[in-house]
Amino acid sequence: MAEQVFITGMGMVTAIGNNVQENLQSLRLQRSGLGYTRHIDTIHKAVLPVAEVTATTQELAAMAGKENVPGYSRTTLLGLVAMQEALRSAGINDAREMPAAFINASTVGGMCDTEKVYFDILDPEKDGAFLQFIDTLDCADCTQRIADDVGIREYVTTISTACSSSANALMYGARLIQQGLVQRAVCGGTEALTRFTINGFNSLKNIDKQPCRPFDQQRNGLNLGEGAAYLVLESASLVRQRQSKVLATLSGWCNTNEAFHPTAPSPEGDGAYEAMKEALAMSGRTADDVQYVNVHGTATLNNDLSEGKALERLFGDKVPRFSSTKPFTGHTLAAAGAIEAIFSVLAIRGQLIFPNLHFSEKMEELNIVPETQLITGVPVRNVISNSFGFGGNNASLVISQYEG
Amino acid sequence: MKGKYYIQGSAAISPQESFFGSFTPQMPVVEGPLNRLRAKEPDYSGFITPNNLRRMSRVLKMGLVAALKCLQNSDIAIPDAIVTGTGRGSLQDTERFLHNIRDYAETALNPTPFIQSTYNSVNGLIALQQKCTRYNNTFVHRGFSFEHALLDGMMQLAEGRADVALVGAFDEMTDEHFYIKSRLGMWKTALTQPADLFTSGTTGTLSGEGAAFFTIGTTPGIARLDGIRMVYKPSRQELHAALESFLAQHRVAVTDIDLLISGQNGDTRYDQFYQQLTRQFFPQTAVQYFKPLCGEYETAGAFALWMAVQTLQAQGLQHVLVYNHFFGEQHTFFLLSAV
Repeated sequence: MAEQVFITGMGMVTAIGNNVQENLQSLRLQRSGLGYTRHIDTIHKAVLPVAEVTATTQELAAMAGKENVPGYSRTTLLGLVAMQEALRSAGINDAREMPAAFINASTVGGMCDTEKVYFDILDPEKDGAFLQFIDTLDCADCTQRIADDVGIREYVTTISTACSSSANALMYGARLIQQGLVQRAVCGGTEALTRFTINGFNSLKNIDKQPCRPFDQQRNGLNLGEGAAYLVLESASLVRQRQSKVLATLSGWCNTNEAFHPTAPSPEGDGAYEAMKEALAMSGRTADDVQYVNVHGTATLNNDLSEGKALERLFGDKVPRFSSTKPFTGHTLAAAGAIEAIFSVLAIRGQLIFPNLHFSEKMEELNIVPETQLITGVPVRNVISNSFGFGGNNASLVISQYEG
Repeated sequence: MKGKYYIQGSAAISPQESFFGSFTPQMPVVEGPLNRLRAKEPDYSGFITPNNLRRMSRVLKMGLVAALKCLQNSDIAIPDAIVTGTGRGSLQDTERFLHNIRDYAETALNPTPFIQSTYNSVNGLIALQQKCTRYNNTFVHRGFSFEHALLDGMMQLAEGRADVALVGAFDEMTDEHFYIKSRLGMWKTALTQPADLFTSGTTGTLSGEGAAFFTIGTTPGIARLDGIRMVYKPSRQELHAALESFLAQHRVAVTDIDLLISGQNGDTRYDQFYQQLTRQFFPQTAVQYFKPLCGEYETAGAFALWMAVQTLQAQGLQHVLVYNHFFGEQHTFFLLSAV
């Protein structure tokens, strides 16, 4: 049997908090991070709600210890803040201590900064400090700056599969560990809001002008968010050797493709169903063992219908409690999978289930409704976390209580 | 990672005549004024319906058709996994959407360029066209894009999740992006012919583009893929140590290598990596340089591997080593052997 993969550290920054503890607090207090952008120059700024990280880019630089260091995009700084917390939480003082992997996820790299100077870059007459952002558009830029800063070198790469990117990064890191290529992999994603992405989703008519309402009959699209999250994964043997504190087990995963449409899922949720089913099978758990599903739940018309159908197909009339936490964090695209993986760990460790905000009316096509209240003191041993994206990309993770 | 991996088939679209028939390397001539090689695109109409052809941007067509041709060459309809690497994805679409946002002041935007600019859109198209509902992943990380796609594919085989994985890479260059990268000093400023790349004595190199795909499996195919070794921002000592341990791991001595396929690109800032490695380990070994043939781009390593497969087969070689790096940061070795 392949070696078990444990989660031994985590760090994050989102619109509802600058670290894991603040995020948990906001989830408990049902405090949404949705509002209007203060950092993006867009005509949509007073119209389309977003979940923006409160800190300015300069404040993020201070948090990351990079004040007045040029060339760090907001994407990189968000990532660095989350990475530093993840390593601290895993008790790693110096990541150079062993060969490790950094598997990052990003959808548009440092577009947040590049788009502001893009047309200056194209203008041969213009010259100046903005030129340092030329290469940040590239997804590898944020990854390498973060890796270099903390000293991870053995495997360094970036996955970009749209909204499922960081779930795929977690899988990839876990597989590198199982294949014995590394003992430790830090995996997750970073995403900064951009005018590019806001206009992209808006042109698809996928953004709700109100706070998003996942799994509601009246849902009308998603709200974008930003943030970063990383989880430290370690092999069972490394955990034994360094007596790591285990937060949870990454017990199963699966990636499938819908092969249905470039941007829409199949109405019956074929890909989501397969991904959840296979991930669960890999974890050695059955449907009855799952107490909570942190759904992808973007609140787009298509996603929630197909994901809901997939849940009903997999669990029959015993669908476990489920909720989308996107009304808290917005849809953070490449970071979403890792952010929600951390929420899944928090659900297990706190024995609680987070509410799906803004829900009021059951979808007529479904028999199920999400949890709307914070539930505490319930056994949560196994959680499924879903991330689905463009290109038909479906990723499901199973996160389980550590039985050590 | 234990197990044996074989390349079952391949296909490439490149600045060479690489799509049909057998491959004969030809030194290209750059007409100028830019130091840039363009891919020779085949007629796509046999692979993509006219409707889709109209909608798809250039690199989507290049990537999709290279993938389909590779499956055809391998006699495989539906692979168990599709993994790709790309440094830039559909640049044309990213640029178009950036311009549209400005030109139309963020109103009434056509979503197609946004959708197609997503880095995994080619993967989605391959899956859609071949009805492949299994593993699907995309790496976007300069000189570790294709390389991780290949490693991912090999791991799919090692895990027993796939019998055959389709692995590939694609990148295009545009006028706009060529200019942007010229501001970073990536290209030679004086017109330099590919044949003169190594004697120019200047910084920068020649821009390239292309797409290459492979099917890999666990049953003997056209070449054995012994392994891949990536080294991130190494010193010369670290690089050389990595090569030694890589070859030792596969029980191959440096003298067993019949051919070194080198990524040397004539950029005087970074060529010393290639020169020192060749001097130290392969002073007597035959060396082929692939960058004058395809130019420099993030996933040029995929063209190198494709060329290695062709040459190994055509010349009946036992062991071929590819060494490539992308502007001194991401270094990779591929080891191929006869089946």
